[in-house]
Amino acid sequence: MLRMILYNVLQVLVVLGFSPLAAGVLNRLKEMVQSKHGPSIFQPYRDLWKFFHKDEIVSEESSWIFRFTPYLVFVTPLFVTLLIPVLTTYPLFFAFMGDMIAGGFVLALGGFFAALAAVDTANPYGPVGASRTRMVGFLAEPVFMIVFFTVSFVAGSTIPYIVQEKWITPPANFFMPSHVLLMLAFLMLILAEGGRIPVDNPSGHFELAMIDESKSLEYSGPGLALMKWGGYMKLFVLMCIFLNVLVAPWGLASAPSSGAVLLAIPLVLLKIFGFLLVLIVIESSLAKLRLFRIAEFLGAAFITAVAAMMMQVFLVGR
Amino acid sequence: MNLCLLLLLPLAATLLVCLPANKYWAPGVTLVSSLMILVGVMRLAWLMAAGQSVMTGWNTGLLHGLTVDGLSVLILLLIAFIATTAAIFSIGYMEHQILTPWKRRLYYANYNLFVFSMLAIPVLVDPTLVWIAVELTTLCSALLVSFENTHEALEAAWKYVVLSLMGAGIALFGFLVLFAAMQTSGRGGAYTWSGLIAAAPAMPPVLLQAAFLLILIGLGTKVGLVPMHTWLPDAHSQAPSPVCALLSGIETTTILYVILRLFPVLHAAPHGHADIWAMVLGLISVGAAAFLLLQVSDYKRLLAFSTVEHMGIILTAVGLGASVAGYGAMQQVVSHAVTKSFCFFAAGAVLLVTGTRQIAAVRGLIGKSPLAGAALIFGGLAITGAPPLAVFLSEFTILKAGLTARHYLATGLLALFIVIAFFGIMLHFNRMVFGAGSDQASPEGAAFPARRGNLPRLPWSCRLALFVAAAPVLVLGVYIPPPLQNLLTQAAAALKG
Amino acid sequence: MTPWLDNLNALATGLFLLTAFGMVAMRQVRGCLNLFILQSVLLAASAVLLGLRYSAGDLYGVAIVGIVSKVILLPWLLRKTAPAEIYTRREVDQVLNIPTALLIALALVILSYFLALPLLNAVAPEFRGPNLPIGIAGLLLGAFTITVRREAVPLLLGLLAMENGAFLAGIALARHLPLLVELAIATDGLIVVFIVGVLTRAIQKQVGTTAVGEMAHLKETPAGGEAPR
Repeated sequence: MLRMILYNVLQVLVVLGFSPLAAGVLNRLKEMVQSKHGPSIFQPYRDLWKFFHKDEIVSEESSWIFRFTPYLVFVTPLFVTLLIPVLTTYPLFFAFMGDMIAGGFVLALGGFFAALAAVDTANPYGPVGASRTRMVGFLAEPVFMIVFFTVSFVAGSTIPYIVQEKWITPPANFFMPSHVLLMLAFLMLILAEGGRIPVDNPSGHFELAMIDESKSLEYSGPGLALMKWGGYMKLFVLMCIFLNVLVAPWGLASAPSSGAVLLAIPLVLLKIFGFLLVLIVIESSLAKLRLFRIAEFLGAAFITAVAAMMMQVFLVGR
Repeated sequence: MNLCLLLLLPLAATLLVCLPANKYWAPGVTLVSSLMILVGVMRLAWLMAAGQSVMTGWNTGLLHGLTVDGLSVLILLLIAFIATTAAIFSIGYMEHQILTPWKRRLYYANYNLFVFSMLAIPVLVDPTLVWIAVELTTLCSALLVSFENTHEALEAAWKYVVLSLMGAGIALFGFLVLFAAMQTSGRGGAYTWSGLIAAAPAMPPVLLQAAFLLILIGLGTKVGLVPMHTWLPDAHSQAPSPVCALLSGIETTTILYVILRLFPVLHAAPHGHADIWAMVLGLISVGAAAFLLLQVSDYKRLLAFSTVEHMGIILTAVGLGASVAGYGAMQQVVSHAVTKSFCFFAAGAVLLVTGTRQIAAVRGLIGKSPLAGAALIFGGLAITGAPPLAVFLSEFTILKAGLTARHYLATGLLALFIVIAFFGIMLHFNRMVFGAGSDQASPEGAAFPARRGNLPRLPWSCRLALFVAAAPVLVLGVYIPPPLQNLLTQAAAALKG
Repeated sequence: MTPWLDNLNALATGLFLLTAFGMVAMRQVRGCLNLFILQSVLLAASAVLLGLRYSAGDLYGVAIVGIVSKVILLPWLLRKTAPAEIYTRREVDQVLNIPTALLIALALVILSYFLALPLLNAVAPEFRGPNLPIGIAGLLLGAFTITVRREAVPLLLGLLAMENGAFLAGIALARHLPLLVELAIATDGLIVVFIVGVLTRAIQKQVGTTAVGEMAHLKETPAGGEAPR
């Protein structure tokens, strides 16, 4: 029992500790692809450190939502971490609290408050970004739903620990069409939700074109640090869900020994590194879509997810 | 005559017309080859009618051989006859259209290829190969439809190709399902028409019916059955008139033949239900065409809609029951083919003389060009079923058979639609031929420059083609020669299975 | 081995379905062509996998014929016949906007499942599998592509995609179709490309556009009225 709680805490610490690193590696790799030197992979840590040591300025016009939001944005990914398999293939102490749908809603809660906070300040760019994020969110929502439905249809459950086993028992199941198509659909969702390139440019500095970034324009000091860190963790958690639950639980600890769990940390990081490479390929080979093309991008994701479900129906019919 | 030779003749003609020679070479070669085919097929038909076994030629395992029976010989006969008359008509007609030797070679090469692809359909027995031949008829005639190279002609050719190929895609799936049905039946004969009939009783009814419907829809597109007919009036009106005669007169019928081949298969199966589908689709086609042709403004389109109507009549007749109306259906196949090709020759003559396709622009034709006017009114009467011409006899036979089979509703509707079509066509043709009124200027973009005052005389070849084509229209209305009667009976029997 | 082959074949058909969707929606003409080539490759892959699964040697022939004709010869022939500038073209407006078109396409796929069900129940178990419903879906989506597209090359590719769909179902249903027939059908596909390419070139020269879907001179007008020429 205690061991399970400890592992659960370790899981949270891994997400807390390594998510800025993942962001740093991603930035560095991207710069390298563009033949630039790029900042150190530890730059996000330094940024966070710097922000925590600065004063915070809060607009007089803003309400409690503005002050409350950074904490929520920071806490929600951590909460989701408790539910999902980051290091182990067996459920940990808090895993009973929710399934994948609950996780999705908790993540969405953070996004919702971030959007509210952006509207809360009277900054004109905030609401623009918030409304765009909501647009992306509305379009992504049905895809999320279809993905979850398909998962539960195929695996008979929405508990991530059960789902991940389904894909590799027997190993040939990995190539089930519904599995591969789900992976594709979820990959597109990560691009949309994580504000990655065909949908949003995370390194853009032009306010009018911003989607995700403009929501934290008004933050400074520790508030900004929490928002940033929350953002890193959200991407990290999404990647964990994708790689561990939807792709395959390879590299996760299946034995309860602490050695196995500790070994899982570098393996999971390796998986994430591999995924970052894929992300880099996508980001460097595509251009950002115009705003109204995003609907088509997510439409494609929707079609892919539904195709996954249809394939499952076709196969059940045989 | 060896059936291989039958297929090789048009191919040889295709190669020969490509040789550079003077302007009489290509039409001459085409005419000679068509005549040889006609003679060969007539001999084949004679033997067939006399009940002798026919040579089948090149019986290797690859193509399951080439075989003919009464039904396919009937179709072959019609193809050969119309190919010949159209070749005669082309000589004079196309000289007004063909400007360069290259264009002439293109026309005649395509013409012969088109004839080849149509001849291939009745003699092949493997349904998938027949499908390929059907595809080839589309592809070989596409450039003939677009021959005039105007916006309208290109648009028509495009629609024709795209819709026909769409239908062909569906039909291909149907043929593959049919193949699967045959494999499932466990009677592993060769995949041929006769093999299908043998295997039909053991086929899963669902597969058989699905295949039938897919092929009916797919090939029905090319036949011009009504929901899928939209391309037909365009393509059949924009092509040069001799090509129209081939397209409307015989290509549609040849494709319909492929559908008809499935009827004995479905009759052999326990739950076929082919007849009711044929009757419904046929009646829809007849009815829709009868009303649609009331509102056209182009006389070639009028004739094209009439083709849709006649295809519907044939299908309805088959649907009334192959045992009762099969003979009438076959008679209708013959009378429609000869009459419709004549009609398009007449329309071509009118076009040649007046230079316009607009009904409204042609008035009092009989005074200006008696031959073209007389041909047009004769063609109109013939195609709408005025007694005592060929179509009248065949339609009468069908209606009588329908009443005998106690299909009162279907027969009544059929008769009603035929009457409507009669009035629709005759109204227009009457005005064109006898109507008073000024000649309106021919609109821009017409195929020929408007001719005023001195109307040109028809070339001798067009006159000849008109007379040759008119002969069977007249004769078959009052007298069907015993050999032909024999052949029709055999064809109707093949339809029954 | 069997579950692997079954799953891989199902995957090939699943991706085939995705390419069929893509061809409905893809704006760039070149992208459409690439999708079609990918689709043909997947068709060949499915043939090979089914061939391995049921040790049906004929299907390798289908795969080879498909690769040679559709992946190698067809794009080459299209390049030779159709005007070159067609490849740089983007289709700005389709008949329906893309999300609507995709939703209708989705409905068609569901329809194809219900169309396939009775057929699936009628054939022997070894012929069942995703090929038949996906093949029907490919057929319907190809037809749908033809109805929503206006540009010549995507229309042509829609036609060929219909044939691909029919074949995807065919390799599962009619496994022992003679190779001669396969060859003839492949040749036929090439003739289709040639003829349509020539027509497209003529249309571009005469009408000045390759958006053939917008040509609408041939219409019915009431008798007696002046026809729009």
